[in-house]
Order: sequence, then structure tokens, then C-alpha cells
Amino acid sequence: MADVADELVRSSSALTRGDLLKKGTAAAFAIGMFGGLTDKSFGFYGPLKYANKQLSGELRIMQWAHFVPAYDQWLDNTYVKQWGEANDVEVKVDHINNALLYSTGASQVAAQSGHDLFWFISPPSTFQKQVIPVNDIVQEVTKKVGPMSKVARKSTYNPKTKQFYGFPDDYAPDPVQYRRSYLQEAGVSLRTWEDLRKGAPKLKAIGHPVGLGMSNEIDSNMLLTSLLYCYGGFIQNEENRIVIGQGANRKGAIEALQVMRDIYRNGMSDEVFAWTAASNNQAFLASRLSVALNAISIARSAENSGNTALSDDTWLASIPRGPVMRLGNEHVMGVFVIWKFAKNKEAAKKYLVDQQLGYREHFIRSQYYNFPAWTGAIKGGFKSIRQMTAQDTHKPKGKYTILTTIAEKYTTNPGHPGNTTPVIDEIFNTYLIPQMFAVVARGESTPAEAVSSFAQKAQGIYRKWKNQGLV
Amino acid sequence: MTRRQKTTTYLIVVPFAILLAFPFFFALVTMFKTNLDLANVEHSPFLYNDLEGGFHWDFWNYATTEHVRFLFEETNYPKWLLNTLMVGAAVVGITLLLAMPAGYALARLAGGWGQSAGVAIFLVYLIPPTLLFLPLSRLITQLDLKDSLWSLILIYPSFTVPFATWLLMGFFKTIPQELEDAALIDGASRLKSLYLIVLPISLPGILTVVIFAFSLCVNEFIYAFTFISSSEQRTVSAGVPNDLIRGDVFFWQSLMAAVLIPTIPLALLYNAFLDRFIKGFTGGAFR
Repeated sequence: MADVADELVRSSSALTRGDLLKKGTAAAFAIGMFGGLTDKSFGFYGPLKYANKQLSGELRIMQWAHFVPAYDQWLDNTYVKQWGEANDVEVKVDHINNALLYSTGASQVAAQSGHDLFWFISPPSTFQKQVIPVNDIVQEVTKKVGPMSKVARKSTYNPKTKQFYGFPDDYAPDPVQYRRSYLQEAGVSLRTWEDLRKGAPKLKAIGHPVGLGMSNEIDSNMLLTSLLYCYGGFIQNEENRIVIGQGANRKGAIEALQVMRDIYRNGMSDEVFAWTAASNNQAFLASRLSVALNAISIARSAENSGNTALSDDTWLASIPRGPVMRLGNEHVMGVFVIWKFAKNKEAAKKYLVDQQLGYREHFIRSQYYNFPAWTGAIKGGFKSIRQMTAQDTHKPKGKYTILTTIAEKYTTNPGHPGNTTPVIDEIFNTYLIPQMFAVVARGESTPAEAVSSFAQKAQGIYRKWKNQGLV
Repeated sequence: MTRRQKTTTYLIVVPFAILLAFPFFFALVTMFKTNLDLANVEHSPFLYNDLEGGFHWDFWNYATTEHVRFLFEETNYPKWLLNTLMVGAAVVGITLLLAMPAGYALARLAGGWGQSAGVAIFLVYLIPPTLLFLPLSRLITQLDLKDSLWSLILIYPSFTVPFATWLLMGFFKTIPQELEDAALIDGASRLKSLYLIVLPISLPGILTVVIFAFSLCVNEFIYAFTFISSSEQRTVSAGVPNDLIRGDVFFWQSLMAAVLIPTIPLALLYNAFLDRFIKGFTGGAFR
């Protein structure tokens, strides 16, 4: 009996090298696979490169070449690398010229192949059928930092489908940038559009015309739609129906067209019809323009040029007030979409959430260009943002604090008071708004005719998208 | 040439040469300008100025190499140059490999059909890339060549080969048939006569094809931009406008340096073989 007992003890305690290997492997497999179903398991992704993480694979991101090169360098070489290591994902960010984003997105859709995450400079709602909804991650971020800003929500939410087709990442307020000395010399105020209408000839007379584009490019789109808001000439109503051809909207649109026609005839030059997105920057930095509407790339470029006479004299202001309101479009609405054909949707979602939750660093690195889509992503919200912008050392001291006021009070989405629907996106990308303003400014059409023609085209686009069930 | 003729020639050529050289001169001056000098419109754009806009003979003290340094050290420009060179060399090789026998066959062997086939092949060259890039993009995806230089090496011959075939066909026609017949009578095979007789005489035409195909590879934008999205895989034509125009800000000095640098070897190449290049293009003009 004792022998049998000893044998049993020996068999249970004495571990041969072979047994050790077998048992150890089995234990490692069990812990690895099931690990209490915690984040210690490596599931079916295979062994982790970095411990304790569940994602894997590659994540390819396409976004614009930011006007601050140092931001892209930090993003590519520091931020995404750290995020990738922390999440066991190989992240690669590609950058392209912003003018090529839309066509590149379209070509990726045509090829059904491309990046997992694609960033657009304005809400790409015409791509809604090509992307996956992101309601889940929108809710996740909202739970953690509070509500999304209204401009971001209305840019990316489709009330018809009840889906967020894109994830709003950032936006840039659109201030007026002006040469203070020129305006003082000419005795011109920028308080209202009427002030600018009266002041434009004086500014042109001193050799520094106003620079407001009426060309097929994004800056003209944003500015001219803002002018329509200020005069109450809304393209669509809150239910996203086209209303610009009717009643008070039509009247407001006609007034806005008349104002821009007068500013052009008395205070601008023909070149505004052929501008690119960079033209107002270049003309302003060459000290030709007195007034331009743009994100802060003008002011920052002036600072980077080393020309302190220029940069100290470049001031920022809110958009002028119109008879109906003071309101402007964002200049940039950075929206990420996840294509249906994206290979790593889970990593894409986690990347977006993490980036938004840590947006403070992005805001600072972008030199206050990228405002977070969730204001609460920066602890303290607008109050903190104002304090941070106040610390900018460039003269005049505190000039960037106005961005907070503009973001908080005077910034809206394309399509206000409705959402940025595919109708609005198509109107933007076919540049119908600058074309409407240009034909009136050049005297090729009366304001009333131009509004009627625009309304007719907009109705046609509306019907097209309604038939597709997206409005 | 008389003295008078010489004077007349120079009177015509010199202003023309100055006009054509002006963009290069402007790029050369601009690439070394400081931001402050460049941004001030009251300063001469052709000189290096001090803060007040004055010119000094020690002008190099008022210029900067910072933007060239930025181009080489903070962008992938050296990589783009290398990529362009690799793609160009591969495409030139493929083009010659396909176009030389094709051009020869159309000139010598296809009889009456040769001319029509030559024109048909040339017409393929005229299809604009803006129509082709979407379907080709799909093809490249299916072949799993996206973001790879191989995509360009595969696609570029689709427009270099037709033109080169047409060009060489015309050139081969200028070579007397009797030379080949003599070689054939002496026992050379068709391939040998092509290699030993036709090709050495066709050198100007072949050089033309080399320069033409290489230039196209350097200049091409749509395919280079569509098929390749990562900065380090790009060629010069796609990399420069993407990485040196950021948002709505142009990095002018670096842009000027980036476009000027690749033009220098190309210009030298053109100059070195100018006579042969002209001969290559006009060789088939009368046959």
C-alpha cells in the first residue's frame, strides 16, 4: 500500500522536463486565450507586440498637410507612434494637399480600397453611403467629456437616418484678419457689413483693397455662405428643405448679393474671381490687402515671416454683423470617416476616441488652429481655451482670444440652421454659391435672377438626394 | 555664315534664350531668399535685399540656405528624387524593350498594315489619363500594388510605349532596307541584323525615346498621386505639391528649390544630345 501511495505522490510531484513544457504551454495558452476574459488575453489576434492591449494590425490614416509643419511632424513621429505602441497597432499617417482631399476620397471609393480613416476638410456628407456610422464612439466620447459642440453635431449628424456618418475631430473658427493701420488710415470700421460696404472704396483708394473671394474654392464658399446668414438669406431651413427662393430668405439673399456687388465694384479687384484657397493669404502677406476672412494661417504666416511690422499690424476680429445676425461658417470642419471597406475599423474607432479625449495637446501643437469638436475635451472648456490663447506672446498681446468668442458665439455649420446634408455638400463642391455671387458682381445677372437660378439648381440637388433617402 | 547673318541670329536667339531662362533664374534667386525679403513686395524679387530693401555686393550675407536645408532634411525630397530616378530608369528600360521590336516590325514586316497599326497605336497615347486613372486605380488595387513604385513602373509604359513605337517606326523606315538585305545575304539572322545594323544607326531615335520616356516619368502627376499616398514612396511630381503646399500656405523658397533641382540634369541631358534628339524626332518625317 505504501508503495502505491509513494508512487502516487511521486507521480503528482515529480515533474519531468517534458511535463513542464507540456503543462507550461497549456497554461500559457489558457491564460493567453481566456485570461479571465480581461485585457491580458491576446484573443485571436496572436501574440502581442506590446503587453496588455487588445487591438492589432495596421491603421492607415489620410489627412491634410497641416499648415503648421511641426504639428504634422509631432503627429506622425510622436503621437501616432506612442498611440500605436500603447494599442499594438502599426499606425501610418499620409498627408495630402487639402484641395485634393475630395477627389482622392472619391477615387478610393471607386477603387474600394484605401485608408481606414479619411479626414475631410469640410463635412463630406455625400459619402454617407460609403462609410460606417459612428454613433457608438460619439456616445462614448460624449459620456466622458460632455456634449459635442453644436457646429460639430450639425455637421456630421443626419436626422433622416439618425446616424453620425462621420466623426467630427476639429474645427477652425473663421475670423476677419485686417491691417489695423490701413483701417485707421482710411477711417474704416468692421463692426457691420454696412460699415465694410461704405469703407471698401476708402481702402481701395489708399491702395489696399478688400480681399473677399468669389471663386471656386473653399474660402469663398465659407465666406459667402456666412454673408448670406448675416442677411437672413438661408439656403435651407431647420428641416433641411431648400428655402432660399422664398420670402424673407430670398430677400436676405438678394441683399447679401447687393452688398458683395458693391464691395467688389468699389473696393476689390478682378483677381477675386480666380482665387485659390491660398490667394488671400498671399495677397495679405504681400501687404496688398487690408481685409480678408480666413483661419489664422494668415496671422501665423505673418509671424513666421519675421516681418514684425506686418504681424504686429495684423489683427483679428469677428465676422461683421448683418441686419439679421452676426454668424459665420467654420473655416475648416475636420471630419474623419471610416470607409465600409476599411480593414481595421476597431482600431480606427479607438484612435478617434483617444485622440479626441486628449485634444489639448493637438490644440496647442496646431498653434490654436484645431479647436476640439467636443469643447470639454480640453478640461475647463472655453474658459481654459481662452486662457491658453491669451498666453500667445505675439503682438498685439491676446489677439488670439477672439477665436474663443468666435467659436463660442459666431460659428456654425454649412447649411445653418439645418444640418450639413449631402445637398449642402454638393452645393459646396460644385461651387454654386461663389458662382451666384460672381455673376451678380460682374453685372451678368441681377441679384433676383441669380437667387432664382441658384434656388432652382439647389432644388434639383435636393430632389436627387431625397430620392436616395438621405434628406 | 556672314557677320551680318550672325548678328541677326544672335538678335533673335539671345532675347529668346533670356525669356526661356528667366523662370530658372527666378527660381534660383527665390530659393535662397529670406522670408522677410520674399514677403515684402517693395523689395526687388531679383536681388537679395537688406531689411530696408537695399542691395549690397556681399549679397550672400542677405540670403539663406535654410529653405533648401528644410527641403532636404525635413521633407522626403531626397527619397522622391531617388524614387523618380528608379521609376524613370525602369520605365525607359521597359519602353525600349517593347517599343524597339514593335517599331521595327511595323516598319519592316507588317506591310501596308504597318502604317495603319502605327497610327492606331499612337492614338492610344492620346487617351487622357484623367479618364483612365479610376479604372486603372482599381486594377492596381487588385494587383495589390497600391502605394508601391511598381504601380507606376507597370502603368507608365502604357503611354510611353505607344509613342515610342510610333516614333521608332518612323525612324526605322529611314534606314535603307538594302543594308539589312546585305546582312541577311551574308548569313545574319533577322535578329542579328537588327542588333548589329539597325540599332547602331538608330541611336538618335533611341536616345530620343530615352529622354522622352524619362521626362514623362518626371512630369507625370495623376497616376503618381492616385496610386501612391505615403510621402516616402512618392515621386518628385507628386511629393512637391503635396508636402510643400500645406493648407493654404505655400513654402515658396523650398518649392522653387524642389522644381529647379531636377531640371538641371534633365537640361544637361537635353543639351548633350540636342543634335541627336532633333534628328530622332525628324528622322521619320519624310518617310
